[in-house]
Amino acid sequence: MTLSRRDLLKTAVVCAAAAGTANAAAEAAAPADALGLLYDATVCIGCKACVAACTHANNLQPETALSGGIWQMPTDLSAQTKNIIKVYKSADGREASFVKRQCMQCVDPACVSGCPFGALQKTKFGIVSWEGNQCIGCRYCEISCPFDVPRFEWAKFNPRIVKCELCRHRLADGLQPACTEVCPTGAVTFGTRQQLLAEAHERIRKNPGKYYQDRVYGELDLGGTQVLYLSHVSFSKIGLPEAGDESRAHYGSKVHEVVYKGMAIPAIVYAGVAFLMRRRFKAHEEEARHEEAKSGRPAQL
Amino acid sequence: MSSLSTWQYDTPIKRPLLTAPFIFFSSLAVIGVLLSAKRLIGGLAFTGMNDDFAWGVWKTFNVMTLTALGSSALAMGIVVWLFDQQQLHSVMRTALVSSILFYATGMFALGFDVGRPWNFYNILFIWRWNPHSALLEVAVCMTAYAAIFLLYENLPAFIPAKWFARIKPVYPFMVAAAFVLPAMHQSSLGTLMVIGGPKVHALWQTQMLPFFYLMQAIVCGFASLIVILMVSCLAWRRPIDVPVLSAIAKYMSWVSLAFIVLRYVDLGIRGAIGLSFEATRYSAFFYAENLLLLVPAIILLNERLRRTPRVIFVTSILTALGGLLYRFSPTTFAFRAGGNSMYFPTVTELLMCLGYISLAIALFIYAATRYAILPDQLSPDDSLGDRAGRSLTADETSALHHQLKKD
Repeated sequence: MTLSRRDLLKTAVVCAAAAGTANAAAEAAAPADALGLLYDATVCIGCKACVAACTHANNLQPETALSGGIWQMPTDLSAQTKNIIKVYKSADGREASFVKRQCMQCVDPACVSGCPFGALQKTKFGIVSWEGNQCIGCRYCEISCPFDVPRFEWAKFNPRIVKCELCRHRLADGLQPACTEVCPTGAVTFGTRQQLLAEAHERIRKNPGKYYQDRVYGELDLGGTQVLYLSHVSFSKIGLPEAGDESRAHYGSKVHEVVYKGMAIPAIVYAGVAFLMRRRFKAHEEEARHEEAKSGRPAQL
Repeated sequence: MSSLSTWQYDTPIKRPLLTAPFIFFSSLAVIGVLLSAKRLIGGLAFTGMNDDFAWGVWKTFNVMTLTALGSSALAMGIVVWLFDQQQLHSVMRTALVSSILFYATGMFALGFDVGRPWNFYNILFIWRWNPHSALLEVAVCMTAYAAIFLLYENLPAFIPAKWFARIKPVYPFMVAAAFVLPAMHQSSLGTLMVIGGPKVHALWQTQMLPFFYLMQAIVCGFASLIVILMVSCLAWRRPIDVPVLSAIAKYMSWVSLAFIVLRYVDLGIRGAIGLSFEATRYSAFFYAENLLLLVPAIILLNERLRRTPRVIFVTSILTALGGLLYRFSPTTFAFRAGGNSMYFPTVTELLMCLGYISLAIALFIYAATRYAILPDQLSPDDSLGDRAGRSLTADETSALHHQLKKD
C-alpha cells in the first residue's frame, strides 16, 4: 500500500473523529448502500442447494468426512463451510424448522470493533470483509462475534479467517450471492437491507399469526444485522441469540472509549506521574549521593 | 526509615550456574523452544484450541494471567516511587527483572499463538491501528512497555554505571511511562473479555473487568515478588529481611481486601450475586477464588502473623493463586458458560506453555547468579559488609546471620 500525505491526513482526521465521537459511532446506523439477505424459515425446504453453491462459489473444499467421502455433510460452520442449513426439532417432534446460518453482516460488528489492525472492515455495501495482509491471526473475532461465525484454518501454515462475505467477488461481477441464486423456493433472497426489511414486514402484515412475535430478527437485534430472519418458531430455538438491541461492539467498548477518548486521560495521568516522579527522583539522587559519601559504596538504581 | 531495612544492596549470587534447578528449567525451556520452532512449520491443529475456544493457554495463561505476576515492577514502583517508601528500594531490581522476564516470555508465547505472526509489522503503521480495539491497545502498549520502558529500567543492573549515566536524565520520564503503560494494558486485558458479553459467565462479566484486572495485577505483583524473594533467599541461603516482606504483604492484603469489597459491590449492583448461591461449577470457582484472596488478606491484617516468614510465604502463594484464578476464569473456566464446547490443552501445548515459564525461571537464575539482582544484607554499621558492594561469602553470611540472631 502506498501512502500519500493525503491518506495519512485523512486517517488522522478519521482517528480523531472516531475518538471524539466514539459513542455516537458505536451505535452506527446501517450504511445507505447496505445489502443483505432475507431468510424465511417457513419457506425453506432444507434442500441445501445453497450450501453446495456456496462451497463452489467460494472455492472451498466440501466437508465429506461424515458421508464417507461421498457427499457434502458439514455439521457446523467451519473453515470449509461458510454457509450451512441446520434443523431444529422439538423433543415431541411437533415443532420443526430449518435454519440457514452464515455471517450476519452486522450493522455494528463486534469482530470489526475488536480487530487490532483492521483486517476485518465494513466495506462497500456494508459487507464485513477480511483483508489477509492486515490479519495477524489472533482470532479475537472468534471471541467477540455474538453469532459465532468467524472460523479459523487451524491446520494451515498460513491460516485465514473464513466467513461469509456475501459473495463480494460475485457482486463485483454483477452477480448475486450463490446461495440466493440457487434457492429454489425463495427462502433466501438478496437485496438492499431497506428492500428486504420492507418485504419482511409486508409478509408479516399479509400473514398475521404466522411469524414468531410478528418480528424481523436482525432489524434491531444486537444493533441490527444486514441478514434478516423470519421464523415460525422462536429465534432462540434456531440458534439466534435473544440478547437485546445493544451491539456487542458498543457494549464491549463503553469504558474503553471513555478512558481513551483522544488519549486525554492517559496523557493527563502521565503528566501528573511524571511531575511527581521528577521530584521523587531528585530527592532519591540527593539521598544516594549522601549515602555514597558516607559508605563509599556506589549507589544503586 | 531506611534503617528499618537490612536489605540494603543488591549483589550477585556468586555460585556456579549449572545446578540441578537451572539444568531442569533450561531443559524444559529448550523443549518448549524446539516445539515452538516445529509449530512454525505447520498450523495450530495440534493444539486443543477450536473455533469455540479460539484462545488457548498461551494467550489466556502465559499472557493474560501470568503478566499479572509480572506486574511487581508496577506494584512496587508505585509504592517505592509514588508513595515514597524508599526503604523498599532494595527489592526493585528483583521486581524489574522478574517482570521483564514474565512479559518477554509471554510475548514470545504470543508470537507462536497467532496464526499469521509475520503480519505483526502492521504495528508500525499507525494508520492501520483500530482505535476501538482493546487488543490493539494491549499489543501496542505491551510491546512499548517491555521493549522500551521496562528494558530501560532494567539497564542499571546489567550495564556499567558509567554507560547508564548518559541516559540517566530521562529516568523519571521513562519510569512515569512505565507506570502508565502497564496500567493501560493490564486493564485492557480485562476489556478483552467484555466484548464477549454473555459468553463469559455473569459472575465475571462486568464493565468493571478492566479495573479488576488491573487491581489483580497489583495484588499478584506484590505476591509474586514476595514468593520470588523468599524462594531465592531460601535456595541461595540469603538472609531474609522480614520487615520488608511484611510491608509488601501489608500492601498486598489491603489491595486484596479492596478488590473483594468492590467485586461484591459490583455483583450486588448487577444483581448477579444470586448466581453464586447456585450449586454450579461456576460458583465453585467463584468461591475458590474468593477464599484464596480473602483468607490470606485477613490473616495478614494481624501484625504478629504478618511478621512470621512462614505465614508471609504461604499467604502470598495463596493470594497469587487466587489472583491467577480470577484472571484466568473469564477466559477459560467461565467462558462459553453453559455451552457444550470445551477446551483442554494438548500435551504439546502444555509443554510449550511450561517451556516459556521455565525459560523465564532459567533466565532469572542466570541473571541472579551473574548480576546484582537480589537484595543482600549488609550490617547497619557496615562493619560486616564489603564497602565495594561485593557479595558476602558463605562464611561471612553465616557470621552475619549469627550476629543478627544475637542482636
